[in-house]
Amino acid sequence: MRDDPTVVALVTRAAGSDPGAWNEIVERYAPLLWSICTRFQLSTSDREDVAQNVWLLLVEQLGRLREPAALPGWLATTTHRECLRVVTAARKSEQGGTRQDDALLQFADDTVIEEEILMAERNAALRAAFAELPPRCQQLLAMLLSDPPHSYAAISATLDIPIGSIGPQRARCLERMRRSTALATLGEGEMKIDIPGGERRA
Amino acid sequence: MREGWDDEQLLAALRESLTAREAVPSWFVETGKNAYAWHNIDAELAQLTYDSSHDRNRAAVMRSEAASIRALTFTSARLSIELEVIEGRLLGQIIPPQAGTLETHTTTGVTTSPIDEIGAFVVDPKPASPFRLRFRAADGTDVLTGWITL
Repeated sequence: MRDDPTVVALVTRAAGSDPGAWNEIVERYAPLLWSICTRFQLSTSDREDVAQNVWLLLVEQLGRLREPAALPGWLATTTHRECLRVVTAARKSEQGGTRQDDALLQFADDTVIEEEILMAERNAALRAAFAELPPRCQQLLAMLLSDPPHSYAAISATLDIPIGSIGPQRARCLERMRRSTALATLGEGEMKIDIPGGERRA
Repeated sequence: MREGWDDEQLLAALRESLTAREAVPSWFVETGKNAYAWHNIDAELAQLTYDSSHDRNRAAVMRSEAASIRALTFTSARLSIELEVIEGRLLGQIIPPQAGTLETHTTTGVTTSPIDEIGAFVVDPKPASPFRLRFRAADGTDVLTGWITL
């Protein structure tokens, strides 16, 4: 998924003068930044600080990214660096300027960063594939995914379809998602990451 | 997509992706969108060329007297901007010395400070992070620093 044409196109358009493309980039990767901030257990104001710095840096780098397709990696790495900066600054002021804690090093684990990038790409592709579905499919899948789940009777009443065709329609909607161009770019790396709660239901 | 996920796995992965998006507050997304206002600003960029907090040897030598003073230098093709943070104020100097106006841009707004004939200026109190400085002179000089976090 290193050469996702969607990302390359968005970066190219945003580097020109296209606020819409920029907004799409932000919508697509804000969850990546957020999840990294969450792993660092940052406060709300620190998260705002990190997000501001990362996006402002990206605005300046837009025309200079050597490989636009590597944007997710750039974002993840930059967010990590910014998170480390605020965490380190907080510890320094608490402890009067001691050395960086060894505990901080766990945050810099390359494997973790790589997984976060793959997860972000996968999630972005899934959301894009979902957004391409016809409204009926989106409604059906959203109801099936809601927590707590809706009963087939409730789905049948809300969407005005017979209970008996919910199963087949669900299968058709998922097949449609599977064939979408958004998911076509998913590679083995993205597929291999565990799906939380994704074990087969009995 | 490769032959990988069955329906249950695809649904679970989709749930995960939508949940990850819903967890993000809208202000967090807006912060990112607002940053685009800085795209294509028509000013000469001044790069950070010195930061005392990156200079460990100096910090070790001067720890006793100067550890609390943060000094930064931004350099562009035609001038540099030297900054020191002292007692909550930002003291600066344009080199070579020249008069003009200094704009302090934060993510919430802009304030201006005069720059005297010897190129000196004061921003008091020091601005909220992150911020950037823009130096403008009557001859059309327009120099912008990178984003600064103190």
